Amino acid sequence: MIIRFLQRHREASVALIIVFLFAILGLVDRSYLSFDTVLLVYGNSLILFVLAIGATMVMATHGLDVSVGSIMGLAAVVAGLLMNAGWGIPASIGVALLIGLLCGLFNGALVSLLNVSAIVATLGTLGLYRGLVHLLSGGAWIEGLPENFKALTKAGSLGLSPVAWLVLVLLIVAHLCLRYTAFGRAMFAVGDNREGARLIGIRVNEVQIAAYGLNGLLSALAGVIFASQIGFIPNTAGTGMEMRAIASSVLGGVSLLGGTGTVLGAALGAYFMTSIDSILVLLRLEAYWNDIIAGAILLVVLITDGKIREAVDHHLRYQKYRKFIDPQAAGQHADAAKAAARPLNTTLETSEARK
Amino acid sequence: MAGTSPTDQHTPLVEARQIWKFFGSIAVLRGVDLTLRPGEVHALLGGNGAGKSTLMKMIAGLHRLDRGELLVCGEDASAMTPVTARQAGIHLVPQEPMLFPSLSVEENVLMHVPGNRKELRARLETMIAEIGAGMTLSTQAGQLEVADQQMVEILRGLIRDARILILDEPTSALTPREVGKLFERIRALTAQGVGIFFISHKLGEIREIADIVSILRDGQVVLAGAPKTFSDAEIVAAMTHVEGKEGFTLGHAAAAPAERGPERLRVEGLAGEGFADVTFSLHAGEILGLAGVVGSGRTELAETIYGIRPAARGRILVEGKPLSSHGPRDSLDAGVVYLPEDRQVSGLFVNAPLVWNASALVLHRGREWLPLAQERADFSEQIKLLGIVCASGDQPVRTLSGGNQQKVLLAKCLAAGPRVLILDEPTRGVDVAVRADIYRLIDRLAGEGLAILLISSDHEEVERLSHRVLVMNHGYPGGMLEGSDITINAIARLSFGVGANLDAAQ
Amino acid sequence: MRLHPALKRWESVLALLLIAEILLFGAINPVFLQPSMLLYATSDFIHIGITALALTLVIITGGIDLSLGSVMGLSAITLGILWVDGVDIWGAAVAALAVGTLGGVFNAVAIHLSKVNPLVITLGTGFLYGGAALVLSGLAGATGYEGISNFDPAFVNLANLQVVGLPLPFALFLALTVGFMALLHRTRFGRYVYLIGQNPRAAAYAGTPVFRTLVVAYALTSLMAALSGLILASYFGSARSDFGTTALMPAITAVVLGGTSIYGGSGTILGTALAALLVGYLQTGLQLVGVSSHVSSALSGGLLVIVVALRSLSEMGRVWFQHRRVLRNVAAE
Repeated sequence: MIIRFLQRHREASVALIIVFLFAILGLVDRSYLSFDTVLLVYGNSLILFVLAIGATMVMATHGLDVSVGSIMGLAAVVAGLLMNAGWGIPASIGVALLIGLLCGLFNGALVSLLNVSAIVATLGTLGLYRGLVHLLSGGAWIEGLPENFKALTKAGSLGLSPVAWLVLVLLIVAHLCLRYTAFGRAMFAVGDNREGARLIGIRVNEVQIAAYGLNGLLSALAGVIFASQIGFIPNTAGTGMEMRAIASSVLGGVSLLGGTGTVLGAALGAYFMTSIDSILVLLRLEAYWNDIIAGAILLVVLITDGKIREAVDHHLRYQKYRKFIDPQAAGQHADAAKAAARPLNTTLETSEARK
Repeated sequence: MAGTSPTDQHTPLVEARQIWKFFGSIAVLRGVDLTLRPGEVHALLGGNGAGKSTLMKMIAGLHRLDRGELLVCGEDASAMTPVTARQAGIHLVPQEPMLFPSLSVEENVLMHVPGNRKELRARLETMIAEIGAGMTLSTQAGQLEVADQQMVEILRGLIRDARILILDEPTSALTPREVGKLFERIRALTAQGVGIFFISHKLGEIREIADIVSILRDGQVVLAGAPKTFSDAEIVAAMTHVEGKEGFTLGHAAAAPAERGPERLRVEGLAGEGFADVTFSLHAGEILGLAGVVGSGRTELAETIYGIRPAARGRILVEGKPLSSHGPRDSLDAGVVYLPEDRQVSGLFVNAPLVWNASALVLHRGREWLPLAQERADFSEQIKLLGIVCASGDQPVRTLSGGNQQKVLLAKCLAAGPRVLILDEPTRGVDVAVRADIYRLIDRLAGEGLAILLISSDHEEVERLSHRVLVMNHGYPGGMLEGSDITINAIARLSFGVGANLDAAQ
Repeated sequence: MRLHPALKRWESVLALLLIAEILLFGAINPVFLQPSMLLYATSDFIHIGITALALTLVIITGGIDLSLGSVMGLSAITLGILWVDGVDIWGAAVAALAVGTLGGVFNAVAIHLSKVNPLVITLGTGFLYGGAALVLSGLAGATGYEGISNFDPAFVNLANLQVVGLPLPFALFLALTVGFMALLHRTRFGRYVYLIGQNPRAAAYAGTPVFRTLVVAYALTSLMAALSGLILASYFGSARSDFGTTALMPAITAVVLGGTSIYGGSGTILGTALAALLVGYLQTGLQLVGVSSHVSSALSGGLLVIVVALRSLSEMGRVWFQHRRVLRNVAAE
C-alpha cells in the first residue's frame, strides 16, 4: 500500500529521496544537517524552480519546450544590454520578460496553429533564439551590471534574497493556479484529451499557446535571475537548462504524455537536482559526479515507476477477469493466478525470445 | 435580429436545411433537413456511415458545415464552434467516450462548468445516486469500465443544463435498469422544454422514448415522422434498402460437408480473460460461427487462441499439437491466422503501401534480404483473387474505401497460408457489394478445406455462413447449434440466455 | 502543371536546395566552389551526419535518442583513458565502440522494461552516460578544455587520410549512407522498423519481433554516435567528455529536415543524408562569408522552423484547396 501511495503521490517519493540524500549528508558530518543547508540548496535551485513551473505547464498540455535555455540567455542579454545602456532596472527586466513572453508565444503558435510537433518546433527555436543572443551581444560577455541588480539575489530577510521570496510566492501561486483554477485545469484537460477538451468548449489553441507563452515568460525570469546571481552574462547563459528542467518535472511526476503532474512535484524534482550538486560540494566530492548520480536516480525512479504501473495494471486486469480465470476464488489456484498476471506483452515477447 | 425567446414553443431549437458535408471528396451528408422542437425527443436511426454522428457533431460545432443552413433557436449557426455551441446551450454526449483518462470522475463531469464547486459537487452526487450509477467521484476516468465511462459522459450532459442535448448511442453499454433510469431523466428534461437528439440502434428504445424519428441512409433522410406511424419492417427496410441485397442473403450456405474433414483445431476447457469452460473442435472445410452479444468473450477467446492474451486454464490443440504460452508468431507458424475486428487499430498499417500490408504476416518466413519483386507479384495475384480495387500496390491503405481496406486485410491473412482462419467481424463497416464478395470468398475457402472460426455480431451473417454455431453468453458457452437448428431466433435466444430475459422483464 | 513523381519527393527538394545553396555561397565567395574546400569542409560536421543516419531508424520506429551526444563524449573519453593506461590505440577504439553499443542496448532494454516514453528514458541515460564520461575524465585528471591528447599519430592522421580522393570521414559517411539505405529499404529489419513505427499494435498482432528490432535500432544509433566520437577525437587529436553536447540537436534537425516524421512511421536515409549536408554547408558557407559560427547555428535553427512550418502550411493549404474544389464541383452539378 505504501507503494501505491508513493505511486499516486510522486511528490512524496521525491521528498523521500531528498530526505535520504540529506540523511547521507548527516551521516558524514552532523553539523551539515541544518536549516542553513536547506536554504542553501533552495537558493541554488531558484532558476530550476522557475523553469520547472513552466515545464509543468507545457507538459500538462502534452507539449515540450526545449528552447527554454535559449530564451533564458536571450532575456539575460536583453536585460544586461539595457541596464548597461542606462535603462532602469525594472524597465530592463520588464522588457526582458516581454521578450521571453513573445518567444514563448511564437513557440506556442508553431505548435498549436501550425501543427508542428512540439519537439521539432522548439528545437528550431532553440537554435534561433540562441543565435539572437549572439547577434545582440556581438559575441562578447556582458559585464559591469549594476550593483542594485546583483543585490536582488543577495541574502536578505530571514536568509532569503528578494528574488528567493519572489520565487517562493511564485511556486505557491503556480501550484494553486494549476490545481484549482479553471485555466489551470484546462491545461491538464487539453493535454489529457485534446478532442475531448474541444468538445466541452475549452479554447484548446488559446490554452496551449498561453501555456507556452507563460513558459517563455518564466524562462526569461530565470534568465534574469541567472544574470543577477553570477553578475555577468556569458553567451552560453542557459545552455543545457532545458534538459535539467524537463528532468526535474519528470522526476516530480509530471507526465510527458500530458494530463498529470503538479508544480509541487516539479519543484521537489528541481530541488533534488540541485541538492546533489550542493551535497557533493559539502561532502568534498568532485562536482563531476553530479550528472551520473542524477541520471542514475532519474532512471531508477522512472523504471520503478513504470514497473509499478504495470503491476497495478495487472492487478486491475486480474480483478476484472477473476471470475473466469480463478473460479475457486483467490488463493488455491496459484497457477491460474500466475498465468493471469502475465501481461499481454510478456506473452508476445516470450514467444519472440524463444525464436 | 428577431429577438426570439428560446422558450418560445414555436421556434424550433434546431433547424437544419439542406446540409452538406464532405470529408475529402466523399459526401457524408447530402442535403439533410432536420428540425428539433422544445420538449421533443428526436431519434435518429441509420447504419454505420449513414452520417448520424457527423450531423450531430456539426450541431455541437465540432465540424463546420459545407453547404446549407443551420439555425439554432432561430439564429444562424453555420459558423458554430464548440465554444459558441456551448453558449447556445448545446451539449453532445459522443458515441465514443471523450473523457480525460488521467483526471477524476468529478473533474471530468464538472470541467468547464461555471458555478460554485461545492454546489455542483452536491448536485452531481445526488444525480449519481438518482441514476443509480455506482462510482466514486475521485476515481480516475481511465480506470472505469466502458459502461461507467459512458455514464460519466451522460452525467456531463445532464449537469450542464443544456437546452439541446445530443445523445449519440448512450445506451450501448448500459444495463436495462440504467437505461430505464436514463429515460426517466430524459422525460424530466423534455418536460422542462429541453430538446433531445437520441441516436440508437434499438428500435424498442426509440418506440419508447422518441416523439419523432428520422432515418438516415447514405447521408440523406429517407424516412421521417412519428415512430408509431411506421412498422418495424418499414423502418428496417428504409435503413437497409439496397439494390441486390437479395442476391446473397437468400439461400443458405452450402450444407455442411457430408463427411467431416480431419480435425484442425481443438479447444478443451479453455479459460482466460473474459471467458471460461470453452470446448469445441473445428474441422477442415468447416465454418464454425461464434455468436453472442458484444462483450460476451468472443474476441477475447479468439485472441487467446491466437496468443495475444494469456490462457488461464485448458488446452489448445492445432492438428493434434498443443499450443501453450504462445505468441502470434507461434500461432502463425502452426497455421493459425487471426483477422482482428478493428482493422484500423490492430489489423492494418494504414499509412503503409498495400504491398507491405499484404506481406506483413510472412516476412519472418523469408530471408533477411527482402524479395521486393516477388512481394509485388504475390500482391498482384491477390488483387485478382480478391477483386481489390486500387491504382497500385504502392498507394497507402488509407486511400482505399473501407471495403477495399477489409479486402487488403483478408489478403494479408490469406498470404500467411492459414490452416485455421479466425475471422473477427469480417464484414464490419463494408458496403453491400464487398460484403457479398467476402461471403463468397469465405464459402470458397471452406470449400477448399480451410477450417474457419467466424465471429460476428450480425446474426444474419452467422446464420448465412456457418455449418455449426457456438453461442457465447457472458463469457460461457451458451449452446451449440447445428444444421437446421441454426436460425436467427435461436442464436438471439441463446446469446441473451435465460437470465438476461428476466433482467429485461423487470 | 504535372510534376514527375520523382520531383515531388522531398529528397529532390532537398537536393535542389543543396545545389542552390552551394551555388549561392559560391557566387558570394568563389573559394566555396573549390572541390577541396567542399570536401574538407565536411570534416567539421560529418560526425553529425553519421549519427543522424542511424538516428533516422530510431525515429522511424516512433522513438528518439537524446543520449547520443553523451555517447559521443563517453566513447572519446573511453578511448583516451584506455590509451593513457597503455592499451593499444586500435584496441581502445574497439572498446570505445563496444561501450557505445552497450549504451544503446541499455537504452532499448530500459525503454522496453519500463514501458516509459523513449524521450524520458534517453533523457535519463543521457545524464548517465554524460555523467560517466565526466567522471572518467575527472578520475583521469583531464581538464575539461584540454581533454586527453597525445594519441598515436597513426590514429590522429586517420581523419586526414584520403580514400579515393575523399577525406576518410566523408568517405565513411557516403559508405554508411549506402549501407543504411540498404538496411532500411531492402531488408526485413528495415521493414520491421517502418511497421513498428506505423502501428505498434498491428505489428504485435503480426508477430513482429518488436523488442529485437528496437534493440538493434538503438544499438546502431549508439554505435554511430560512438564512431562519431572517435572521428572527432582523431580530427582534433584529443578526447573530451563534452564532444557531443552540441551534436544532439543538429542530428535531430537533420533527421526531421530530411523528411522523417517525428511521430514515426515514415522517413528515408537519403533525406537525412542530404539534410545533414544542407545544414552543414549552410554553417560552413555562412562562416566563409563572414558570419560568426554562432549566428550561423541560429540560421540553421531558423531554417528548421521555416521548413517544418512551410510543410505544415502547404499540407493545410492542400487540404483546403481540395475541399474547395470538391465544393465547387458539387455546386456545378
